[in-house]
Amino acid sequence: MRTDQRRTGPEPGRTERRVLLVGNPNVGKSALFNALTGLHATVSNYPGTTVEITRGSLNAGDGSTEVVDTPGVNSLLPLSEDERVTWDLVSSARGDPDAVVVQVADAKDLRRALLISLQLGQLQTRTVLILNMSDEAEARGLRTDMEGLSRALGVPVRSTVATRREGIDALRAALPEARVPSNHLPLPDDVAPEIAAILAGRAPLPDPEAPPPFVARYHEALLARAAELAVRFRGAAGADRKAEVSRGAAYSRRLGRLSVHPAWGWPMLLVVLLAVYEVVGVFGAGVLVDLLEDGLFGQHLNPLARAAFGHVPSRFLQDLFVGEYGVVTMGLTYGLAIVLPIVTTFFLVFGALEDSGYLPRLAVMADRSFRVMGLNGKAVLPMVLGLGCDTMATMTTRILSTRKERVLATLLLALGVPCSAQLGVILAMLAAVPLSAGLVWFGTIAAVMVAVGWLGNRLLAGRRGEFVVELPPMRWPLLANVLAKTAARVEWYLKEALPLFVLGTLLLFALDRLDLLSAINRAGQPVVSGLLGLPPQASEAFLIGFLRRDYAATRLFDMARDRGLDTVQLVTAMVTITLFIPCIANVFIIAKERGARTALAIAAFIFPFAFAVGGLVRLAMRSVGLWEIP
Amino acid sequence: MAICSLCGFEFEPGGAACAERGCPFAGAGCRTVDCPRCGYAVPDERQSRLARWVRRLFAPAALEAAPRTLADLRPGEDGVIDGIEGDPALAARLTAQGLAPGVTVHLVQRSPSYVIDVGETMLALERRVADVIRVSASTSRARADSSTPTQ
Repeated sequence: MRTDQRRTGPEPGRTERRVLLVGNPNVGKSALFNALTGLHATVSNYPGTTVEITRGSLNAGDGSTEVVDTPGVNSLLPLSEDERVTWDLVSSARGDPDAVVVQVADAKDLRRALLISLQLGQLQTRTVLILNMSDEAEARGLRTDMEGLSRALGVPVRSTVATRREGIDALRAALPEARVPSNHLPLPDDVAPEIAAILAGRAPLPDPEAPPPFVARYHEALLARAAELAVRFRGAAGADRKAEVSRGAAYSRRLGRLSVHPAWGWPMLLVVLLAVYEVVGVFGAGVLVDLLEDGLFGQHLNPLARAAFGHVPSRFLQDLFVGEYGVVTMGLTYGLAIVLPIVTTFFLVFGALEDSGYLPRLAVMADRSFRVMGLNGKAVLPMVLGLGCDTMATMTTRILSTRKERVLATLLLALGVPCSAQLGVILAMLAAVPLSAGLVWFGTIAAVMVAVGWLGNRLLAGRRGEFVVELPPMRWPLLANVLAKTAARVEWYLKEALPLFVLGTLLLFALDRLDLLSAINRAGQPVVSGLLGLPPQASEAFLIGFLRRDYAATRLFDMARDRGLDTVQLVTAMVTITLFIPCIANVFIIAKERGARTALAIAAFIFPFAFAVGGLVRLAMRSVGLWEIP
Repeated sequence: MAICSLCGFEFEPGGAACAERGCPFAGAGCRTVDCPRCGYAVPDERQSRLARWVRRLFAPAALEAAPRTLADLRPGEDGVIDGIEGDPALAARLTAQGLAPGVTVHLVQRSPSYVIDVGETMLALERRVADVIRVSASTSRARADSSTPTQ
């Protein structure tokens, strides 16, 4: 039926073929995807979810074969939303003669890969098995009898080194030979009917958050058979593994151990943090911003724009684009000259950290402290990504295993994790005040995060998921991969953020034109001046803070330069604006991921709370008499 | 298996029994072991570092001879998984990651998290997880291939 529809499609004679890349996490699926496809990969959300799927078209083909990179899974029976997407995609390939599943395996870890191969056999999808990273396996003296394995499974088996593009042609040539893996898997009596019912569509998939006990027994049965096959076609090798480990692998292993070592883990963490600060804080927020803001925009583009609009007869248009609240002089300058370099350098470093395998190790180091806030170490991943972009990080909270953790992490991200754009502005503001002021800001935000997390943990129903994290080997990140990821993230960021910068500027411009700005400043006076002790004009900064808090921080920064805020005022302003919700896009994503009610509740909590904490901090600083000139 | 210090009833602490009685702390933040027959509650020894240390002081040999869960292994030691207890969701995840009966695990360290080698996989997990993985001592000191099931 499916094929009939396809044949009557718009292009007769050219069937749309699909290749699905399926496999465990960290087996080099993305690298293989890059090797198989051209430059033009598209990233899109899987329908109805925010799970991102990368698609491209097969290189050196006639362009009619689509390659789809699916989220990594350890078992095809989904235990999370991401894994559910993989299940759906693989299910859609069942019985489709134009779809091939390319299962990507870590050549070193045959047993875990075969668990998935056996499941593909049960799903009856046409499959090619790829043993990737075969160079690493060989360095460890692990050799697989690929022909034997191919005969036992009934599918073509090939080996590749995707990062060096080895074996890609052989893989492409094997695609037409894809077969359904043979399925002689005896399942225990209590498991078999349940699985059969799911495969036949007679029973729903198990609830990912509370799977019934037969799921574990199903995995055990698969693993037992997988282990048998692994031993048969690889032998009980690796007994004398230590002697055969190559120098590079030994070095990576040692580094991997040290990074989670109870003592050495901490200095390593410090080194990583310092490196991040040097690249993002010093180079990105310092050197590059100076170059772009003062240099490119301040001396060239803005004067050029002003000159160009000088010929425009309409005063209104001049003000709209190059005035005090001009789209070019304010909106684009902030967005492109200040935010862009910081965000780009951050995503570069983050991408490199991701590919190096350090992030899960950071989770190990952070686990204990995160438990205070009702989270486990895994939450460190969204939190660190939040330093780049909170909206993106909110989507990553999906990796947390319970709803309670996801809500807590979402709340803490929205409340206290400054994104790189804002962090850059704050670092710039900190440069102008004593170091102690920075410490007060940092201490307040950290204390608020811990206190809110601790309270939230007690007030929210539900439980914390167990901390289990896989530690992939440490590797040198590949430049091409890191750059491609950074490019995708920066593009995403620009699409989200730049329109908001322009919108915010237009809003201010309109309010200024309509003479409402002064009215708003007057209306905000009791809170802004009374509670926070800031000049009334700060109201307009907080107003755009509802759109983007980093934009508001930039405005406050300008104000501090022009009007000379004292240190207490500056710290009060920084604390208040840091605790604001990151941006309006973040609210939308929270609503999408956690539901509109949660988003509303979080917003209703955060805004009054931010002003209250700001007021309290000011009171505390004044009563202690910090930074007062004697 | 626990024995009630008051009435001598033998029972499996924690889990379903607590939830059935409708205890609000079942599964989350509970630090006591309650006898299902008489309701007598004592602090959970397994959750106390101090208590474990005292136990080890008095019976070091006995403990070393027979590790019962992954949490009893010492860094550098191997164990063979006998089974995974407790929450089916956790068991489903752990088995998907390759932890199954018959598989040899090598404990690398216990702090700040438990780190184990299972075949080519390195996993970090918290103590609460190590507690539910039942192991017995590995038969040989030399590290056998962990993907080999014990016959």
